[in-house]
Amino acid sequence: MRKFKVFIDIDEEEKFLREMAEKGYIFKKYSYFGFYHFEPAKPQTLNYRVDYRMFGIGGNPEFLNYVAMFEDAGWKHVYGTKISGSQYFLPQHDEEVNDIFSDSESKRQRYIRLYQQCIVSLACAIIYFIAVLAINNFNLSSYLFQTPGLWEMGGTKFWRAFWFEFPFMLLRLIPILIFTTGGLCYAIWAIKAKKLFENKY
Amino acid sequence: MNLEKFLPLTETTFYILMALTEPGHGYAIMNKVEELSGGKVRTAAGTMYGAIENLIKQKLIKAVPSEDKRRKVYLITDEGKQILQLETERLKHLVLVAQNHGF
Repeated sequence: MRKFKVFIDIDEEEKFLREMAEKGYIFKKYSYFGFYHFEPAKPQTLNYRVDYRMFGIGGNPEFLNYVAMFEDAGWKHVYGTKISGSQYFLPQHDEEVNDIFSDSESKRQRYIRLYQQCIVSLACAIIYFIAVLAINNFNLSSYLFQTPGLWEMGGTKFWRAFWFEFPFMLLRLIPILIFTTGGLCYAIWAIKAKKLFENKY
Repeated sequence: MNLEKFLPLTETTFYILMALTEPGHGYAIMNKVEELSGGKVRTAAGTMYGAIENLIKQKLIKAVPSEDKRRKVYLITDEGKQILQLETERLKHLVLVAQNHGF
């Protein structure tokens, strides 16, 4: 089963995963754009703990070191990759209820990392948008509709040329829309994460 | 480097630096800190990982080559040792002042 959810408050995310397990859905993996994958099983209490860490493409040795340290300390790394950001843990022994953080400062740092990642992603979206505009001399309409003299055409000729170009226009428009929407989301998430590390801890 | 800016050390940082006067990987540091503090300072994995990351950025500890393929092994740097020395002197002075006042 898949569920679409976006959490910025990581405590809420931990609660959501625990409640799903209590209903008999065990968290398996998280894929991009907010999809949580679950597998049915008997209802159980699972105290998920979530850290936020990005290791990057070349961060494999550090990622392995990180996971090894948590495993040594009694945690099972349930899901997470070096570029997934969120890292999901469960206690290796079910009866233990512990936390992966022992002070509020390190909990706060987790939101700061999330915030910084949102800012980086937002910056990428903005740079992409400006680059697309700059390449097309800040004239988006001539980039989307490239048929020469399209807007000067009249009647049937115009509509034929318009609809002929329409699918190509969509292909050019969709990436721009995705990046713009993504940028807006990251801006909102960054603000939410900032509020959390400023007020919650 | 102006080492004074690192002082005073938090209890956790003090114990981590002290633990790393001998090389050790993350979990070994967690245990050593607990042992050195007589069980008083127990650091969770995520907190310890962040603390190590921080100390590396501050160049007070460093990763050293080891045979373990997965676990990084850390060791205190010369700057780290100087910090411990400065902190110890600061603490000694505090204790001395306290003793002179009948504590």
